[in-house]
Amino acid sequence: MKKFLSGLMFLAFFAGQHSPSDAAESHPNAAAARKEGKLIIYSSTDSASVEPLLQDFKALYPFLQVEYNDLNTTEIYNRFTAESASGAGTADFMWSSAMDLQIQLASKGNALNYASPENAGLPKWAVWQNQAYGTTFEPVSIAYNKRLLPADAVPQSHADFVRLLKAKPEVFHDKIATFDPEKSGVGFLMMTQDAKVFPQFWDLAKEFGGAGAKVYTSTGAMLEKVGSGEHTLAYNIIGSYVLLRQKKDASLGLVLPRDYTLAFSRIAFISKNARNPNAAKLFLDYILSKRGQTVMSEKSLVYSIRSDVPGQITAAGLNKDLGKAVKPIEVNTDILAGLEQNKRLEFMKQWKEALRR
Amino acid sequence: MRPTLRPFAVIGVALVVFGPLGLILYQSFLGEAFFSPTARFSLGAYRYVFTDSGFHSAFGTSLLVSFGMTLISVPLGSLLAFLLVRTDLPGKKLLEPWLLVPIFLSPVVLAFGYVVAVGPVGFFSLWTKALIGRVPWNLYSLYGLIVIAGLTHVPHSFLYVSSALRSLDPSVEEAARVAGAGPWRIAATVSLPLVLPSILFSGALIFLLGFELFGLPLVLGDPAGLLVLTTYLYKLTNLLGVPSYHLMAVVALAIVALTFPLVYAQRRMLRTAGRFAVIGGKGQAFRPLPLGALRWPAVGIVLLWLAVTVLLPLVGVALRSVVSQWGEGIQLSEVLTLDHFRELQGHPNLIRGILNTLLLGGIGGALSVAFYAAVGLAAHRWQSRWVSFLDYLVMLPRALPGLIVGLAFLWVFLFFKPIAPLRTTLFSLWLAYTVVWLAYGLRLISASLLQVKPELEEAARVIGARQGKVYRDVTLPLIRFGLVGSWLLMFMMFVREYSTGVYLLGPGTEVIGSLIVSLWGTGALDLISALSVIEVAAVGLILFIALRLGVRLDA
Repeated sequence: MKKFLSGLMFLAFFAGQHSPSDAAESHPNAAAARKEGKLIIYSSTDSASVEPLLQDFKALYPFLQVEYNDLNTTEIYNRFTAESASGAGTADFMWSSAMDLQIQLASKGNALNYASPENAGLPKWAVWQNQAYGTTFEPVSIAYNKRLLPADAVPQSHADFVRLLKAKPEVFHDKIATFDPEKSGVGFLMMTQDAKVFPQFWDLAKEFGGAGAKVYTSTGAMLEKVGSGEHTLAYNIIGSYVLLRQKKDASLGLVLPRDYTLAFSRIAFISKNARNPNAAKLFLDYILSKRGQTVMSEKSLVYSIRSDVPGQITAAGLNKDLGKAVKPIEVNTDILAGLEQNKRLEFMKQWKEALRR
Repeated sequence: MRPTLRPFAVIGVALVVFGPLGLILYQSFLGEAFFSPTARFSLGAYRYVFTDSGFHSAFGTSLLVSFGMTLISVPLGSLLAFLLVRTDLPGKKLLEPWLLVPIFLSPVVLAFGYVVAVGPVGFFSLWTKALIGRVPWNLYSLYGLIVIAGLTHVPHSFLYVSSALRSLDPSVEEAARVAGAGPWRIAATVSLPLVLPSILFSGALIFLLGFELFGLPLVLGDPAGLLVLTTYLYKLTNLLGVPSYHLMAVVALAIVALTFPLVYAQRRMLRTAGRFAVIGGKGQAFRPLPLGALRWPAVGIVLLWLAVTVLLPLVGVALRSVVSQWGEGIQLSEVLTLDHFRELQGHPNLIRGILNTLLLGGIGGALSVAFYAAVGLAAHRWQSRWVSFLDYLVMLPRALPGLIVGLAFLWVFLFFKPIAPLRTTLFSLWLAYTVVWLAYGLRLISASLLQVKPELEEAARVIGARQGKVYRDVTLPLIRFGLVGSWLLMFMMFVREYSTGVYLLGPGTEVIGSLIVSLWGTGALDLISALSVIEVAAVGLILFIALRLGVRLDA
């Protein structure tokens, strides 16, 4: 019954949108895209979560055959660079949560210059030189087990977390999971941002070491183990994943830290050597549009970046709840500082020392 | 095959092996990706890796894991093979398909099954805790990793040894029995020593596989910082921000270098292949050795191994597939659901993935066996340096860790233009799989070939048969068990394989292995579990049928 109802809502939702033919005619690139007929996407957003978005896009542009490659961020990078260098065809549209790798590729001239008409609806910091686009606004959160972590041990902010770790070491021993910055690029990015924004970050890291925190490369494995109680808290989890997971596991809780919450963005760009550049433009404009962002927020449970999309799972909702505490990771070349070798290795060394590894 | 054609078989194998390997070697001497226009010659990668303490400790850990698991899996696998093939063990026909589960189950799924069963809050751990107040084992430790790796690789050596044992002339065992030896004594002094080549092959391969393990150490060792060579390699994809191909290439080559002493040692031990020829000219009806009073203890051993190696992780995975939550403080009866299976229906690529996998495993596996058989026959009874070259050659691709072998194949298909158009077809996957499992298939076939006594082929030749006819009418029929066993093994390897083809897969050519890995990243472990249950059921059924058919050939 629940499925049936959500299906009905889904239909009702689309009934309210423009009819396909309108959009197909109105977009300036539509005719050219029709000739291309195809769109190749490399993306780290998993196919189950992206499905509603693709369905809606196909409803808009039924003449496009979309080849969606669900890959991990390293695979996306490895494939794209090798395929580009060999002159073989590669993705038209690159969409990945490895913000630094995406910016690095764009800054090396791999991205097509394209001023999306949806620019106006996006924050200024989310667009880099009309080449790389931040497409989401996802809070970096703390996930915890409601069943097992006592209410008074649930941290409400980063500072609170440090305090609790010191005050109740027995509660957290062996019970903390976080990203392994050595193996996960996303994890590294979040932690370096933490270190920038939060003066007590290295205290926190040392407390992790004392508590015997475990490190992971997969959000899924972390959330699974928080759900089972092997761990009771996972630090620096992308909020969208927790929301998806909460649908199935009632024992998962989500905290958006009140002192600051990093907002992370999946970055998209159109390949400069795209064989189907017009189709790629349609897709970029679609996922940045109010319509696409609404599907993203309501169906895929991925936080929308547009301020005009209402609801909880949106930038608007986050800004309302947290105000100035939201700290977006901006889409620009500052992020490349993290790829600078010596600094990077220095950070890893400090991290390992803190973790007593 | 005409003798003059023989070197071409070796050259063909050399080409497919050195394609990817050569690229990796070349890459290791550069400062960045080989296709980058600014790439220059550099020894920096060697300097970095060989002076990195992380590499040293990962190497040490890998060595320990490899030794440990070989010591566990080879004796146990050989014993199981003897019990199931040569004795009247009760219920052996039913046991065999179960025994092979760890081979085709994805290692991350296997490891995850153990987490659900005997992890800190696994159901078995919680029972134990309720019973004795604590959990007396730690899954996330070096010994945990070694024991699980050892136990789950028992089927690998089982397959080799059992295939050789099946072709063994029973009269030698019969003779020992008549002379008064008990079943254990026969196993230890007659049957197993006679199939020593297969035992040694399996030992060498399992040792090498220990270096190549990725899924198990990633799930069981990584969270606590226990690094082996492959997880160290994984770290190198991110450590410097962008994947450091040159560093990864050096690590891969370090593992490749290990194959040389390994193959050398194995060749020395097998100098006189004639010692092992036991499929003689005189036909013998096979009668299983009676175990007598030992039959129940023997059943006990097999069941205990099955319980720990197959039942425990499989129950873990199956349980996860039918509950919405698990772990501490959860009443399992209250969270039962079939939703995960229903949700799979909404996964558009699933059916295609299963079909592709079965296609690749079944038909692709058979084609690979045909290829291996051709190469095996070319090298058969050929005293030549070419053959020693071949012995080293075939081990090399399997020594390359999955993370890098997948990349290497992508590079080959991208930059070697004549085959570039094949990149997006299932053929590219098949070729990559065939090359990687070369050592497996070929060894299985050549081990069977070794046991055919030369007199049979000579007899055919004496009455005027040409070499091709000898192979077709004498040699191949005699090793048919080896061929079938080899196909089964290839089928299962191909079903499980993922990393080799990871960069060759696309929409339309996805396989179960890739679906599982792509689900792993974002954490649909409930879906992975449901998918794995279906996989085990489907492959199990096929195995069961195949083994039944194999048994009929036996009669």
